[in-house]
Amino acid sequence: MNDSEDIVRLESVEKTFRDFWLRPTVKAVDGLSLSVRKGEVFGLLGPNGSGKSTTIKMILGLLSPSAGDVRLFGLPPRAIEARRKLGYLPELSYLHPFLTAKETLRYYAGLCGLKSGEAKERTAQLLEMVGLADVAGRPVGGFSKGMARRVSLASALIGRPELLVLDEPTSGLDPVSTKEVKTLVKALAANGMTVLTTSHLLADAEDICDRVMILDHGKSVAEGRVSELGTSLEDFFLAKVGDASEFRLAPFLG
Amino acid sequence: MARDAGLSAIFTCGSALAVFGAIRAFRRELETGTFEMALAHPVSRSGFFLAKTAGLFVAYLVFALTAFGAAVTIVIGATVAGRIAARTGEIATVWGPCLASGVAVAVVPLLVGAALNRFWRFRFVLTSMASALMLAIASAATFSVLIGAGALARLAPAVALLAVYAALLASAASAFSVRFAANAAASLTGLVFAATLPFVGNYYMAEALSYGGSVPWSYVGLATLAAIPAAGAFLLLGCRFVRDIG
Repeated sequence: MNDSEDIVRLESVEKTFRDFWLRPTVKAVDGLSLSVRKGEVFGLLGPNGSGKSTTIKMILGLLSPSAGDVRLFGLPPRAIEARRKLGYLPELSYLHPFLTAKETLRYYAGLCGLKSGEAKERTAQLLEMVGLADVAGRPVGGFSKGMARRVSLASALIGRPELLVLDEPTSGLDPVSTKEVKTLVKALAANGMTVLTTSHLLADAEDICDRVMILDHGKSVAEGRVSELGTSLEDFFLAKVGDASEFRLAPFLG
Repeated sequence: MARDAGLSAIFTCGSALAVFGAIRAFRRELETGTFEMALAHPVSRSGFFLAKTAGLFVAYLVFALTAFGAAVTIVIGATVAGRIAARTGEIATVWGPCLASGVAVAVVPLLVGAALNRFWRFRFVLTSMASALMLAIASAATFSVLIGAGALARLAPAVALLAVYAALLASAASAFSVRFAANAAASLTGLVFAATLPFVGNYYMAEALSYGGSVPWSYVGLATLAAIPAAGAFLLLGCRFVRDIG
């Protein structure tokens, strides 16, 4: 693979959060370099607070890196042309509670620049796909967590993206819905879509990812193809990031 | 007194609605993450901010129009009461119905909008605005017939002046609420309010109207010319703040 096939490219990226007086508070990402190639499912794994979501937000242009370079389709991530090819599923379902499922999708279709007829058709198609066609006219504020997640997933796909960014896609889903999401991701990848996903659920990542990178304290501690790890992803992960010994349970348990 | 009350109601409620409407809309979107979701789509950050501010001003016009309709209706009631009193020699007790009709003018458009939204999924703001516009026109027409178009012509520039002022405050509130928490945004907009209040001269304007005078359109024009660069500066500041998010 050459560089031109890199859909996402990060080079020595750092992100330091600062307080109101511009004093540094936390370095969330520290010298991270990665590339996501066309057509692959790339998993960004790591424990809570390892910098996964911050990295995703820099790729989306929602956060600016403190140092280093981020490229999305070879362009700066805030370029409208780059974001036209992007679909994003955030970790939490950020939806306007008073809009119906159909209106939510039409709203995001409008932001993606879809024409009215195409938006209508695509909305119906996606609501059918995520199994919400029957409740399309209900405000999403009354939806269960799983249903809201499905609406968010449909919103991420509304603009026919080439790159799908999923932040903890199975978070809060029951086992059936989790399996459906994984099947969907595999199907999208089989159709040539590039997928970048974060997760701390290693079994999920093992099922869907072609390649993974493990982050810890904002740094990459390992990267490679899932099939080449030579052990289960969980064992590999624990070996790289550490086990539960930090909890020091003995004093509490007597 | 009715004119004073009507004008002050429009001034105070209008300014407060413009400011708090802007702050609430921006802060709620920023805090719930829907703003972030929108920015992840192929939209220009500045364009999104300006479109949202414009949308807020349109929503504000709904309230301004209903407040105008309510004020006019109260004035109609007061005038009719005065005529009854002059003819019969007794103090007419029509304030209750007058206030009720004034409140109805303010509330009915919102109820109509809510009903259209609830049962037919019409856009709430659009339907409210259309209803408010119709009621404001109906009130103004009734006012013209009963009291004379001259009186309405004297009131109109004052209302226009207040709308310009509200637009200025809404721009400031929108810009500040992108960057600062709600309390800080409200405080900063309050400073803008305090700094610019003397230039509006609400008290003298209301007094002039009460004594049969009027606010000249040339003054409204000058105020608009002064407000445009100020509102423009606040909108530019807002565009800068929205680019800095993250």
